[in-house]
Amino acid sequence: MSALDRLKGWEIMMLALLCAIVALNSIWSPYFLSVGNIVNLFQLSIEKSIVALTMALVIIGGEIDLSVASVMGLAACVMAWTFHEGAPMPLAILLALAAGVLAGLNNAFWIARVGLPSLAVTLAGLIGYRGVARIFLEDRAIGGFPDWFNTLGQQALIGPLTAAILIFFLLFILFAIILHGSAFGRLVYVVGSNVQAARYSGVRVGLVKSALFVGSAFVAALAGILYAARLGSVRGDMAEGFELDVITAVLLGGVSIFGGKGNLVGVGLSLLVILNLRNGMGLADITGNTQNNVIGGLLILSVLIPNMWQDLRDKWKGRET
Amino acid sequence: MRKLLMGAAALALLAALPQRALADDAMATPGKAVSMVLLPKFLGILPFDQAHNGAEEAAKELKNPTPLQFLGPTPQNSVAGQIEIVTNATTQGVKAIMISNNSGDQIVPAAKAAQAKGIKVVTWDSPIPSSEGEDVFVAQVDFSDIGKVMADMTLSITGPGGGKFAVLSASPDAANQNAWIAAMKTALKDPKYAKLNLVDTVYGNDESEKSYTQAQALVDKYPDLKVIMAPTSVGIVAAAKALQDEKLCDKVKISGLGLPSEMLAYTKNGCAPEFALWSFVDLGYLTYYTAYLLATDAMKAEEGAKFKAGRMGEFTITKDPTRAKGLRVLMGPFTVYNKDNVEAAAK
Repeated sequence: MSALDRLKGWEIMMLALLCAIVALNSIWSPYFLSVGNIVNLFQLSIEKSIVALTMALVIIGGEIDLSVASVMGLAACVMAWTFHEGAPMPLAILLALAAGVLAGLNNAFWIARVGLPSLAVTLAGLIGYRGVARIFLEDRAIGGFPDWFNTLGQQALIGPLTAAILIFFLLFILFAIILHGSAFGRLVYVVGSNVQAARYSGVRVGLVKSALFVGSAFVAALAGILYAARLGSVRGDMAEGFELDVITAVLLGGVSIFGGKGNLVGVGLSLLVILNLRNGMGLADITGNTQNNVIGGLLILSVLIPNMWQDLRDKWKGRET
Repeated sequence: MRKLLMGAAALALLAALPQRALADDAMATPGKAVSMVLLPKFLGILPFDQAHNGAEEAAKELKNPTPLQFLGPTPQNSVAGQIEIVTNATTQGVKAIMISNNSGDQIVPAAKAAQAKGIKVVTWDSPIPSSEGEDVFVAQVDFSDIGKVMADMTLSITGPGGGKFAVLSASPDAANQNAWIAAMKTALKDPKYAKLNLVDTVYGNDESEKSYTQAQALVDKYPDLKVIMAPTSVGIVAAAKALQDEKLCDKVKISGLGLPSEMLAYTKNGCAPEFALWSFVDLGYLTYYTAYLLATDAMKAEEGAKFKAGRMGEFTITKDPTRAKGLRVLMGPFTVYNKDNVEAAAK
């Protein structure tokens, strides 16, 4: 019960923080509340937000996937290269998604079958998949994709919303149902909180983990393709370093790095907090290192506050008895 | 009759000289409130700060009451950061964005969106390769000249005997560095440089640490390497430090594009006997003038437009010979530094 209490407290805290940031932003900048800016606010980080959803599942499952940004780059490069070599765009996109699934299967094999720690395996993936991406594109940038593809990435599809934003919301609902409303979701929590207990009670741990890593890589590949469509051109260093932003958003969302705890509502709120904060700072002409410092500080507080709260509670309870 | 002729000639002269210049040159009207953003590749290195100083100097001269915004991403987040800053500036409805582009053509959708809102997009230092979304590029020096100077410096260091040399560049998609390296390769075809052998090109991503290890790797890979040519102010310092730390400066020399203040020690101790650069202060100054003239509608970004840029004099917008469709303003020239003149420039 106390864990549940804490989770709820967490979301209320994030919600309060979000309200404060939105209020400050609207006072600070006359442009903040315009529809165009709100769309931009999502659109500028939409690929990271999409990947954060699957990252949340992976971390709740007690693992981590550091290779997501490299898989994004790999998928974008495979797509650009095959298109450049004459393949029609739909085929190039399919091949890019397939490359993502292959990368996910590779991660899953070493983690679920061989039993290596995901930190090491996906760190190798981070380096290796990026290497493959760079082999495909070398030092070139490939662009000139069909108009429909660029339009999909850069123009609104329904109302003011772009395809990527719609995909984010669809995936959010889908993963919320999977995590909080399906048997598989319960297994993810069980595996994440105590893998030994899960194994002894007959949970097919390997299968759960494999599904998480293949899903993570597939969604990362999709995000890579959307990123390519948004920028209209692809190069080997695409999405480099994004994994840290993604993990930051998930942890700030109250997902425990040790697994087994957290939910998608928290992650959604944390994404909103980060995006609004970054956008507000951008409109206030604060950029680069200062933005990173603020977000880094927020992450440290997010780890500190619950722990201190817990300590205080324990002390208080100790005094009572 | 003679008097009349002389008078006519004098009139013609009068008409020809100052008035012609007045009639043709776009002149800036000082004092207009124009919000402008100066966007470097990233924050934290000296050349971009110098360009900022130059732009501020121009802003003061033009008495622009709206302060200049100097905004940049971190080196690790350069592409996404530049796109974000351009997008936010578009939301804010600034009048001009001046970009040292580090994002290749990936900046195009954001730059086009800015133009669609009537914002002037001026690139400096590094252009948009396809020139889409860009009004004009303020080029520091002619790219083919840079190629030739790089080849000349290499030959001057190796001596007439020539030898092996390698390039340590910035990021693989930095449009300016790539154009200079390509220009150098073209220059190398001249029989004069027949004994120079370019063996490799590596990338330090304009990060000191990566450039340092890349320089070390080059020396290990090619034991008879004579020169490392680094056309980037970050790479050249890192490479010079790497060679100094490895005590290899007698065997391998560094050259390229660097800042006198950062290269002083290495030029004095012989690690980097010669290097070249243009003034980033002037580049920032000229860029600001160009953007101000465009944003105040005093000039149009089209071929043949002439304008006066304060203390730097008259410039003309021409076709950019290094890109298919782009326009450029050529600043030029640049200076080769050695132990005789580096000290004065470093101050």
